[in-house]
Amino acid sequence: MSNSFDFSNFSRQSPKGVLVIYINLIYKVIRVSWLLLFLLVKDFSKVSKIGANYIYLGLALLLLFLLARAYLIYKNFQFKIANEHFILKQGILKKTNTSIPFHRIQNINFKQNIIQQIIGVFEVSIETAGSKDTEIAIKALPLLKAEALKELVSKSTEFNLKEIIGTDKKPLVRIGLKELLKVSLTENHLQNLVLFLAIVIGFFQQIEQIIDSLGRTEALDGLIVESKNVLSVSFFFVLIVLIFLTIIALLSSFVKVFLVHFNLTAYLKDDSFEINQGLFTKKSIVLKKQKIQNITISTNPLKRLIGISFITFKQALSGKVNVKKDKLIRLVGCKIAQVEIIKASLFNVTELEKGEKIYPNSYYKRRIFAFTFLFTISIYLVLYLIFLHVEILYAAILVFPIILFLINKKVKKRFYKITDGMLLVGSGLLETHLTYLEIFKVQNIKMKQTLFQKRSNVADIIFQTASGKIFIPCVPFEDAIKIYNHTLYKVENTKTSWM
Amino acid sequence: MAIFSNDLVLELPDIKKIEFIKINKNYLKVILINLFLVFSPLYIGLILLHQLVFTKEINEFIIPIYSVFTAVFGFVIWYILLSFTKRKYALREKDISYKSGLLIRQITTVPFSRIQHVETDEKPISRIFGLASLSIYTAGDSSDDLVIKGITKKKALKIKEFITTKINE
Repeated sequence: MSNSFDFSNFSRQSPKGVLVIYINLIYKVIRVSWLLLFLLVKDFSKVSKIGANYIYLGLALLLLFLLARAYLIYKNFQFKIANEHFILKQGILKKTNTSIPFHRIQNINFKQNIIQQIIGVFEVSIETAGSKDTEIAIKALPLLKAEALKELVSKSTEFNLKEIIGTDKKPLVRIGLKELLKVSLTENHLQNLVLFLAIVIGFFQQIEQIIDSLGRTEALDGLIVESKNVLSVSFFFVLIVLIFLTIIALLSSFVKVFLVHFNLTAYLKDDSFEINQGLFTKKSIVLKKQKIQNITISTNPLKRLIGISFITFKQALSGKVNVKKDKLIRLVGCKIAQVEIIKASLFNVTELEKGEKIYPNSYYKRRIFAFTFLFTISIYLVLYLIFLHVEILYAAILVFPIILFLINKKVKKRFYKITDGMLLVGSGLLETHLTYLEIFKVQNIKMKQTLFQKRSNVADIIFQTASGKIFIPCVPFEDAIKIYNHTLYKVENTKTSWM
Repeated sequence: MAIFSNDLVLELPDIKKIEFIKINKNYLKVILINLFLVFSPLYIGLILLHQLVFTKEINEFIIPIYSVFTAVFGFVIWYILLSFTKRKYALREKDISYKSGLLIRQITTVPFSRIQHVETDEKPISRIFGLASLSIYTAGDSSDDLVIKGITKKKALKIKEFITTKINE
């Protein structure tokens, strides 16, 4: 299959790519200027005829300009493969030449948004662990060519893709509609609600600014004052708001889960996972096992009830600060047996299962207690100083048992298990997270000890991996030294490459 | 912990047995000069506020305001003096370590095999004393990697050279 395409000379993407780039450009312009457009449409009737003509002309010119730009982007986007490197030339005025050696390529993903689905092309993105600039997206390639490219790149990496025909036919995990419904029902609704509200508040702030500039603040203020009065008298109103929020939380969970994980199928191959998912934007991700830095298996009480959990695969991040969400690959709705298969295919966990959980020193509990109580007491103090009502303190009767309960939960979920080659760290508050890490993949290790910790003879250990930190709090000092030394020994004496 | 029974290898690196080297004493001067550069504009600003802006009501408290300011300054200097001797580094066959901190003791070790790149740089005031800092980057969130400030430029380049040859081995 790979012979039918020649990558040794510079080639462009499919001509349909112009359309994809064009629509993408238009979308970007609309996203930046939607408020302006909104105002324009709203007051359109007030614009005189000649003015309207100018507006039409301006729009047409803009569209033409974008089309020209899209064509030029397409024309100047060329790639080839030479000497085990993927080479890309791009840029209209500022020419960029990017060259990525194959062994640096982390994975090759296929993506399809709605337009790409309609015209039948795939977006191929090439991810590296390097800086953000070397992330490459080829906007439009026909499926066959895309696959040929993928095959060529993955074949040339140190290990050969031994694809046995037939094995990838049967997916390891397939989440149908019914399962997806279960998954979304048991999501962390509170978190989704906060996320949703954040978006809504951001949206309203934008609108408020516009209304502000139009001098309509007074009307709005009146409205707010009015509704505040209603709020203070009517308990009923609060109830309605609560119900409303619950519905929104549920809905936002549903939408989120369905958009991202629709039709999720995951295949297990010899040295990689292949994950396909998405409703509007279909995504196909090939995850090389070797490149996975660590995995986290998470569940919450609701999910545990119906026996599902989700797995987060973490890959190496780029060195920059902004964490790309794309690099966290999530497999939702896994049954226990499936989780076991995935775990066993990645690491040797048998020894780990036998080992006993080691819980942090009691200092950990004391520390959390001290911090949360200081925090809540100061909040109560501030609240009291603002409202000057002693009644506020009544709520403490309810709040303190909840805090106690949560602290207990948190402390109980904190543990670690360590064997010769593996580390397992448990954490979580309401959710339970189990993070598995192969010790030799640690990048650097840190040990911290405050004066108070020194008195209790404990220390915190922080493992820095290529995909973030893993934290073990309050380990007895002697053990901490042992873990520290053992990790260094493992890292320095393992010849296997970490990615 | 019985789990560690298979660790009895002779070459097991033991962090407790390393001899750490203190950083160059001149770096203390660099820190103090930097501190003065930060505090003196603040002090001048305070004096200006006292003379020109503050009302009589505020000026009644001017002595406490000055003394709080001086106390903060004094405390910072005291802390720097005490914690300075805790800044130490160690270079071994296969890794480099740095420890620091008075109230929060911290030790970081980076194995050479995980280093992405090494950087030395000289800030203006450090350059007066012929000092440099050595930054070591690993993959991932590199904001928290190892930085050794205040070693002589010669030494920094030497360590850099040493690490570079080790990485390429």
